[in-house]
Amino acid sequence: MRRRWELGVVLAGAFGIAAVAPAPSSPGVEIQLFRFRPARLEVQPGTQVRWTNRDDITHTITGGTPEAPQAAFRLVLEGRGAVADGTFVERGTYPYFCERHHHMRGEIRVQ
Amino acid sequence: MSTGCGQTMAADSSAQTSGMALSSPAPKATGLKSALNTLFQEHVYLAAAATGAALDGREAEFKAAAGALDQNSMAIGRAIGSVYGPDAEQAFLPLWRKHIGFAVDYTVGVAGKDRAKQDKAVNDLIGYTRDFGAFLNSANPDLPTKVVADLVQHHVVTLKSVIDAQASKDQARAYTALRTAAGHMQAIADPLADAIAKQFPDRFGS
Repeated sequence: MRRRWELGVVLAGAFGIAAVAPAPSSPGVEIQLFRFRPARLEVQPGTQVRWTNRDDITHTITGGTPEAPQAAFRLVLEGRGAVADGTFVERGTYPYFCERHHHMRGEIRVQ
Repeated sequence: MSTGCGQTMAADSSAQTSGMALSSPAPKATGLKSALNTLFQEHVYLAAAATGAALDGREAEFKAAAGALDQNSMAIGRAIGSVYGPDAEQAFLPLWRKHIGFAVDYTVGVAGKDRAKQDKAVNDLIGYTRDFGAFLNSANPDLPTKVVADLVQHHVVTLKSVIDAQASKDQARAYTALRTAAGHMQAIADPLADAIAKQFPDRFGS
């Protein structure tokens, strides 16, 4: 089962999920064995990032950290094969984590 | 350090549990199965030691048992890491510790006769089994998520029986339940070892 999340909104002025077809060369983050791989990804402003869930369970891409979650963005990847795309439009560092598995943490650096 | 991970795990387990060294190298698959059985059964016995001490108010014993239980958790994590790498070990350990936390929550609920806390802990434990199944399925496609989840759910049920018997001061029932709970761990360890051996025949094949 493959699902795709496309939200045409820009949240908190920093993180947008673009409703466009992902470019084949878009950098991606694989979620496998309850880890984000790579855990840290550096991209340029306007780059679309794709998360792909390889685990047979729901994971979330939630802005911030478990200790200090941010409402800036939240995506739910419901099981194996689920994908979500996000376009980061402003420079900055965007930490994120999985709400169900707090040890799962990642970071997007927009430079 | 031996050349096969199965032997490494067996030696590690042996050192963790009894301090004895293997007198002769076991076949890799047998060593792997034996190591996992030892670690998982140790997990049950140490968990029961911790919950029994906690329910009886023996604080120093509880702390010691909880410490030993965490050492066992780390040994299981190392075993996973020896097969699937350090990233898997780092992801596995917090997941494994999580279910121990839920079991502690259940024990606290039983001690305080707090039904709501008990129910929440049981629900958390049941939910956790799905996570554990998914983790092992990700590591090894020969381990179906639901099958593993059901096996771990049975582990939860059998350990809950131990805790309930301990709380009611029925020692005979507690130890009978403890043997059942420990014995069930073979139903998890054996398929896990078999699946690993199938996945890495060069490293763990007979």
